[in-house]
Amino acid sequence: MSTESNRQGFRLSLDTWAVILALALALAVRANVLNKIPW
Amino acid sequence: MATSIAVSPVASEKAPLNVLRIVPGILLLAVVGYAGKFLEKFLNTYAKTHHWTFPNIEYVLWAIVIGLVISNFLTVPKIFQPGIDTYEFWLKVGIVLLGSRFVLADMLKLGGISLALVVVEISLSLLLMHALGRAFKLTPKLTSLLAVGSSICGVSAIIAAKGAIDADDEDSTFAIAAILALGALALFTFPLIGHSLHLNDTVFGLWSGLGVDNTAEATATGALYSDAAGKVAVLAKTARNAMIGFVVLAYAIYWAKRGQASTVGNKAAFLWNKFPKFVLGFLIMSLLVSFHAFNKDQVTSLANLSRWAFLLTFAGVGLRTNFRQMSKQGLRPFVVGALGEVLIAALTFGLVVGANRIWGL
Repeated sequence: MSTESNRQGFRLSLDTWAVILALALALAVRANVLNKIPW
Repeated sequence: MATSIAVSPVASEKAPLNVLRIVPGILLLAVVGYAGKFLEKFLNTYAKTHHWTFPNIEYVLWAIVIGLVISNFLTVPKIFQPGIDTYEFWLKVGIVLLGSRFVLADMLKLGGISLALVVVEISLSLLLMHALGRAFKLTPKLTSLLAVGSSICGVSAIIAAKGAIDADDEDSTFAIAAILALGALALFTFPLIGHSLHLNDTVFGLWSGLGVDNTAEATATGALYSDAAGKVAVLAKTARNAMIGFVVLAYAIYWAKRGQASTVGNKAAFLWNKFPKFVLGFLIMSLLVSFHAFNKDQVTSLANLSRWAFLLTFAGVGLRTNFRQMSKQGLRPFVVGALGEVLIAALTFGLVVGANRIWGL
């Protein structure tokens, strides 16, 4: 995972957070926690 | 606005994530985006009930136009700015989720064609922008930034290159403003040209992904044409984004050899740091769908989640575009950028039409 080092320690990049959120949403859909999302 | 555009992506990476600060802006993105979706539906229903002939204007255009009206005719209170700046985050979430709409075979076929075209496009664009930069006597580093921005992926590429070649803030602000202004123009001109030439969705999507610089604008341009074109535009643009590390590394080595930038130590680490991680997420999602990790309803849900994420992005594209501020950035970089973009748009159009003849897209 991409990390960014600064005075506050290691932080994940915005890109990595976007991937984590998208994969978490996919997992929630797979587990039927989120289902039939309308458009 | 252009100054804040130039600074905000860098700042957003460094500032501590403060969830409360971004809530008002995200709500504004949601309201503007949803208003666009509502207008599309309302106008279509109204036209049908009154037997009008009215073109179907996609929510994408309405969301961008409402955002543009707010940012250019009203003053957006500062409290909304941090949340508006998250539009790129939603773009990346949307792209990863969109991976669910590509099975591996499609991804390999279209992605392979895109990659081949991307390599040609990047090489020719870099040569072209350097020739224009020299002709218009721009500083070499500003020319490098404009070349990286117009050949790969707009703002992210310029920010990545800025640090790598130790360019001035002023040069990167110029380059970003030029790329964003031209991206905004492409939003309206590309679909008009596409419709007048009756391009099919795949050809138009590939052209948008290769010819429009910033990822948000490339995605929006494709989506303005059609849902299918938007999907292809994202794939082509993602292939382009994947090349960012290699081009920035080449520039970093070039400027370091001239003694005008820090030397690159570990090249593999440099490439990994510059590599856009959402490209990996996009591929992972496509792999999961190809191996049937989701059923049909779940794939539809993932595609719809991706649309919601893009809705926030398109609202952000309108809200952060302020033409008055952009016009203050100076004429020469803009002229070089504009000339380059028109030539690159023509060049990528030729490439895509050629690929269509060879592979029948």
